[in-house]
Amino acid sequence: MTEENKIPEAAGPVIHVSPGPHIHSAALTTRRMMLDVLLALLPAVLVAFWVFGGYALAQIVYALAGCLGAEALFTAMRKKPFSLMDGSAAVTGVILALSMPATAPWYVGVIAGFAAIGLGKVIFGGLGNNIFNPAMVGRAFVMIAFATLMGASAYVDPDSSIQALTRATPMTAIKMMHETTPLSALLIGNTNGSLGETSAIACILGGVYLLWRRTASWEIPAGVLLAVAVISGAISVLHPDSSWGVLHSLTGGALLFGAFFIATDPVSSPVTPKGKWIFGVGIGIFIMILRTLSGYPEGVMFAVLLMNAVVPLINRWTIPTPVGGPVPVRK
Amino acid sequence: MTNDGPTPLERFIRGILPENPVYRQLLGMCPTLAVTNSMRAAMTMAGAVAFVLICANIVTSLIRGLLKPHLRILVFTLTIATFVTIADRLIAAFMYDMSKQLGPYIPLIIVNCIIICRCEVCASKQSVFTATSDALGQALGNMLALASIATVREILGTGMWFGWRVLPAAWPDWVVMVLPPGAFLTLGLLLGCANWISVKWAQHGRKA
Amino acid sequence: MKNNYIGQAWLVLVLAIVFGSALAGVQTTLQGRINENKLKDTMTQIPNLVPDAETGVQDVIGGVTVFKAMDKGNQQVGWVIQASGQGFADVIELLVGMSLDGATITGLYVLDQKETPGLGNKIVDDDWRDQFNGQPAGAPLTVVKNKVTEKNDEIQAVTGATISSDSVVAIVNKAVGQFRAALNK
Repeated sequence: MTEENKIPEAAGPVIHVSPGPHIHSAALTTRRMMLDVLLALLPAVLVAFWVFGGYALAQIVYALAGCLGAEALFTAMRKKPFSLMDGSAAVTGVILALSMPATAPWYVGVIAGFAAIGLGKVIFGGLGNNIFNPAMVGRAFVMIAFATLMGASAYVDPDSSIQALTRATPMTAIKMMHETTPLSALLIGNTNGSLGETSAIACILGGVYLLWRRTASWEIPAGVLLAVAVISGAISVLHPDSSWGVLHSLTGGALLFGAFFIATDPVSSPVTPKGKWIFGVGIGIFIMILRTLSGYPEGVMFAVLLMNAVVPLINRWTIPTPVGGPVPVRK
Repeated sequence: MTNDGPTPLERFIRGILPENPVYRQLLGMCPTLAVTNSMRAAMTMAGAVAFVLICANIVTSLIRGLLKPHLRILVFTLTIATFVTIADRLIAAFMYDMSKQLGPYIPLIIVNCIIICRCEVCASKQSVFTATSDALGQALGNMLALASIATVREILGTGMWFGWRVLPAAWPDWVVMVLPPGAFLTLGLLLGCANWISVKWAQHGRKA
Repeated sequence: MKNNYIGQAWLVLVLAIVFGSALAGVQTTLQGRINENKLKDTMTQIPNLVPDAETGVQDVIGGVTVFKAMDKGNQQVGWVIQASGQGFADVIELLVGMSLDGATITGLYVLDQKETPGLGNKIVDDDWRDQFNGQPAGAPLTVVKNKVTEKNDEIQAVTGATISSDSVVAIVNKAVGQFRAALNK
C-alpha cells in the first residue's frame, strides 16, 4: 500500500466509510464522534435556553428520555450489548429536541424519541444499518400523529411570557403573512422557531467545529447551501422587489441546523465525496421546492428523509474507479 | 382421490395461524392496509371477504369435475366477481354508511388473492365439505388478522374500539395511526411479532 | 365432448348466464332500497339545514337538482342545494341550506369528504360549519386565519387546514352563485 493510495481526507481524524483502502485508528470511535456532535450542538442549546428558557430544558429531557429509554429497551430485547454509552441515542435525542416547537407537550417529545430509535434505528438492525435519519423519523412520526401540536400554528402562544413565542416563526410569517423577519434576528436567534434552529450564528459555530474536526463531511452542507443559494437567488432575480432575499433563505428556518447537524449523519448519507455533493444538492433543491410550493412553511425534515431514501442508489452511482483502472468485468 | 392431504379439520386450523392469509401468506394486503383504521370497517370487510370466500369455494368445488384446466382462472374470476357484486349491493342496501366509508374496497375484493388462491389450491381439487372448512379457516384467519391490526390502529389513533371510548378523553389521538403510514407501521410490527411468536413456538416444540 | 369452441367454453357460458341472472335479481331487489338510502341521507339533513323545515321535495332549477325545504304545513321555507368540488385529498360533497329568497345561507352539511383526519376533516365539526349559518349569500365568502370572525362574509379557517377550508368555501361560493343566478332567471 503506497502513500498515494490513501484518500486525502484520511490524513486527519476522520471517520469516512469510504471505499478501500481503509486505515484503522483506535481514536476514531463512535463515542468520540458523538461527543464531538454534542459539543458542536452546545451553542444552539445555549441560544435555545436564552430564547425559550425552561421550555428548551424540558424538550431536551423529554426527547432524551424517549430515545434513551427506547435504546435501553430494544437492546435488551435483542440481547445486544448495551449501546447507550456510545452516545448515538443521546445525539439523536438532542437533535430531535432541538427540532421541536418549544411548547409541545411532554408526550410528544417522548413518543418522538421512542419512534426515532424504535422505528428509525432498531427496526433496521441498530446503529449503522438505518436508512433514514432517526431524529427525522421521530419528528416526522409526531408531525403526522399530532399535526395540531407540531404544525405552524403550534409554534405560537400569544399569551406566553416568552417574547419569541408570541410571534409566528419567520418561515410562517413570510409564507402566510408576507412579513419579513430582520436578518439580525435570524442571525442572533431571538425569533420563534424550533428550539435549535433560530440562531444562524450558533448553527454556523457548531457546524464549523464539526467540519474542522472532520466529524461531518464538508461536501454535504456545502451542497445544501449552494443549491438553496442558487434557487433563492433565481427567485430574487424574478421578484426583485421582495424583501426576503438569498440571505434570509439561507439563515431562516431549519436550513443551517439541518445542513450541519441533520444531513451530515454519517450513517444515512452517501459514502463517496461525489455522492455527498449529490446528496447535499438534492436536499437543498427539495427544501426550496417544499418551502415555495408545498403547504408547509419549512421542508428540511422531509427533504432529508426523501434524500435518505435514495442514498443506496447514489452510492451505487458514485463508486470511484480504483487506482490502476476499472475492475475488469468477468466474462 | 387419495387421502394423504390434510383433513378438513386440519385445513380449518391451518387457516387461523400456521397458514394465516395475512401474516403467513401475505395475501390480500390491499384491504389489510386500506380499511383497518377502524374495527367496524375492518370487520365489515372481513365479513364480506368471508362471504365471498365461502361461496366461491363451494361453487368452485361443486363444478370442479367440469373445469377445463386452461379456462379455470376465468371460471374462478367469474364466480368471485358475482359474489363480490352481491356482497357490494347487500352492503349498499343494508349498511349504507359503511358502504360509503369502504368505497371502492368492497368491489376490489374481486382481486383479493386470498380467494383465488383458495379456489386454485383447495376448492378446485377437494370435496365440498373440505373446501368449506378450508374457506372457514382462511376467512377466520383473515378476520383475526384484520381485527388485530384495526385494534391497534383504532385505539392508538382515536382512543376508541368499535366506536366505544376505551381510553380516557384526554388521550392525544395518534392521527398517524389512522392514516396510511400507520397501516404500514402496524402491519410491519405485528408481522414481526407473529414471526417472533412462531419462532418461539418452534423452539419450544423442539425442546419438549 | 366435442373438441370445438362450444365444447371448451360451455361451462363459462352457462355460468355467465346463471350468474348474470342472479345479479340481475339482486339488483332489481335491492336497487330501490339503495336509492332510498342515498336520498334519505340528504332528506334527514334538510331539517338541520333550513330552519322550520321538515321534509324536502326534489326539484330542478336551471338544470341543477335542488331540494325544496318544506315545513309542517307543506309550505316551502327554503332551499337545499347540492355542491361538490375538489378538496385537499378528494372530492368534497356538500349540502347548503338557503333561505327562500336565496339571500342567506342557513346551514352547511358535509355529505362526503376524505380530508386528513385530525386536520382537514374538522370541516365536518358543528362548530366550524355553524359559521356559515346566517351568512349573506350575495357576496362570496372569504377565509381568514388566526383571528375571530366578527364581520360578515368571513369564515375562520380550520387551524392547520387552510386548503380544506378554502376548498369548502370555494365550493359553497360557486354553488350559491350558480343557484342564485338560476333562481333569479
